[in-house]
Amino acid sequence: MATDKKRVELAEIIPDKCIGCQLCAGICPVGAIEMVDGVARIDPAACIGCGKCADVCPVESIKFERKKRKPAGERKVGKPAGVPGYEGVAVFVEVLEGQGASVSWELVGKARDLAGKMGTTVLGFVVGHEVEEIAGEALAYGCDDVHVIDDPLLGTYLSRPYGKAVSDLCTTVKPEILLIGATLAGRDLSGVVATILETGLTADCTGLDIDEEKRILLMTRPTFGGNIMATIFCERHRPQMSTVRPKVFRLPEKDVERKGGIHRHAFEPPAGEPPSVIERVRDVAGAVVDITRFPALIVAGKGACDAESMPMFQRLAGVLGGVVACSRPVVESGLLPYERQVGQTGKTVAPKLYVAIGVSGAVQHLVGMQGSERIVAINSDPQAPIFGVADFGIIGDYKIVVPLFIDELERKMKSGAGGT
Amino acid sequence: MNLVCCIKQVPDTNDVKIDPETNTLIRSGVESITNPYDLVAVQAAIDIKGRYGGTVTVITMGPPQAEASLREALSLGADRAVLLSDRAFAGADTLATSYTLFKAIDKLGRESPVDLVICGKQAIDGDTAQVGPGIATRLGCTQFTYVTEIGQVDRTGGRVTVRRKAEGGSEVIVGRLPAMLTVELELTKVKRASLPRLIDALRAPVTVWNAESLEAEAPRLGLKGSPTWVRKIFSPPLKKGGPRFDAREGARVAVDACVAALLDDATFAGHVLKH
Repeated sequence: MATDKKRVELAEIIPDKCIGCQLCAGICPVGAIEMVDGVARIDPAACIGCGKCADVCPVESIKFERKKRKPAGERKVGKPAGVPGYEGVAVFVEVLEGQGASVSWELVGKARDLAGKMGTTVLGFVVGHEVEEIAGEALAYGCDDVHVIDDPLLGTYLSRPYGKAVSDLCTTVKPEILLIGATLAGRDLSGVVATILETGLTADCTGLDIDEEKRILLMTRPTFGGNIMATIFCERHRPQMSTVRPKVFRLPEKDVERKGGIHRHAFEPPAGEPPSVIERVRDVAGAVVDITRFPALIVAGKGACDAESMPMFQRLAGVLGGVVACSRPVVESGLLPYERQVGQTGKTVAPKLYVAIGVSGAVQHLVGMQGSERIVAINSDPQAPIFGVADFGIIGDYKIVVPLFIDELERKMKSGAGGT
Repeated sequence: MNLVCCIKQVPDTNDVKIDPETNTLIRSGVESITNPYDLVAVQAAIDIKGRYGGTVTVITMGPPQAEASLREALSLGADRAVLLSDRAFAGADTLATSYTLFKAIDKLGRESPVDLVICGKQAIDGDTAQVGPGIATRLGCTQFTYVTEIGQVDRTGGRVTVRRKAEGGSEVIVGRLPAMLTVELELTKVKRASLPRLIDALRAPVTVWNAESLEAEAPRLGLKGSPTWVRKIFSPPLKKGGPRFDAREGARVAVDACVAALLDDATFAGHVLKH
């Protein structure tokens, strides 16, 4: 262990282990780490021995022993009661074509979970025009109190008016957590609200939990294209904000008997002339398939990227009551359109059945489908990582396996054989 | 027309893989590239300059080596490059990043008012898509995200028209200038530079601004100005997976066994029979 003149312990890089990810360089509060030939190097003159680099290093390539100092992430311990004056887990309820977006209800379900751990309430934030019914629905899905801003100026989603309305609600109601669905509008909105409130925002979380001792939200998300998972927290600012993609959490049961309070707030529009939408084009029904809505997906990967096999995949989709989707290389080859792509840069899906054919299972793909209830993988490479997440795997050439699979499935289904 | 693009140098995340044996990341030889969305932003700005005239300034916040991305933008046809580099900027999350970029845009705006700020939709290393909206909010200007087409930019009338993605389709929307746009990859193709332009770009000067030149408030910069902290970084858990049936020899036997096992599984069978 190296020390400087004042005997402060300095961090040291083990060059053989360093993978050049630059996380340490990013987290170093004094900029003491730079990349030299793809390997991190610590400037001992600048290092203050905080140990942050050792905490973030994913491969333990930084030598640092803590005798005198606690890990940087835990040094600033907050008051166990959270930040005084802020209370409750709020969910922004997005209105899509006059209806509450299902991702919002999924988040209300998760919020109940989190609120339970903190012993607090779930709040719904409903913003829009003529949203009375949706406010009632928010109670049915699990909100204890619903705060509504209903105004003709909020009839369609616009960044600044919505940003103002939601941040005003936060200032008035003071929730300690605000969850927003990571839809197009939700991602646009969350950046605005977090900046107005000068608080922390973590995008596209796949896991949310509470550190009950410190009463803080732990937000886990994929980063570096889905290759690393990071758990992020926001200790001193409120609300702690997080966006979550659709289908990450389960839709809760609706209980129309549930009661709660509905509170109306006036809208104070932001200064200046708002933008106006002059044309809206809907994707033609049928022309664009929403793969997130099907209970079964037959997913073609790089190893099954040929036009001739598509009818066969469609037949299997027909048998299982689903549609054909794909991984990124298949979209890049032009065989299937982007809206059929599953994964980090495509859609997150969670069907009942996920049949992956010729999908190797790159991490970027896996983060978009791991929530599927049953995963079946067909791949000729026994080492393919997809087998690691599959509930059932068939090792073999899909051109031979898939026809046999369809035949056998149809035969068994006709004879009514089944485990249940 | 005064156009500003915010760009970022990122590790090429597609090269990052996990070693299945040790469950660690293999990142040796991973190169730094300019975020692909940001190159589209730069090209879009250059196209607008081609239509209406004006200047394109590219800004990046990063360590000194991020200059390479600025030179790439210059080679595409940007006029001026500004590197925001200071140890005080290190460790910034999206809130501190948007503050720093805002201070730089504000400084440029005092020289000559900025009409359009163009950013990529998101960076491929973090995928957050938060910095663009952060900048727009701080500027108090019009914000259009997920832009797929830039229509008329009417400087005299003070309006910009774009097509952008919206839930279930797209919309054409018009708003006041100045505006901040974040762009999708399909907006335009990046036109690679000719050799003479590449050489010019290598020789062009790059302005470097630090925290002092931005007149930035120190507590709002870098790690200090970042409300979010990383508690833990880990590789996604690798699961073992369920039974495997080897169909490389005796395909029918293996497939039949797999189907039998599937139909014994209540979830699978329940779905199939219901269907």
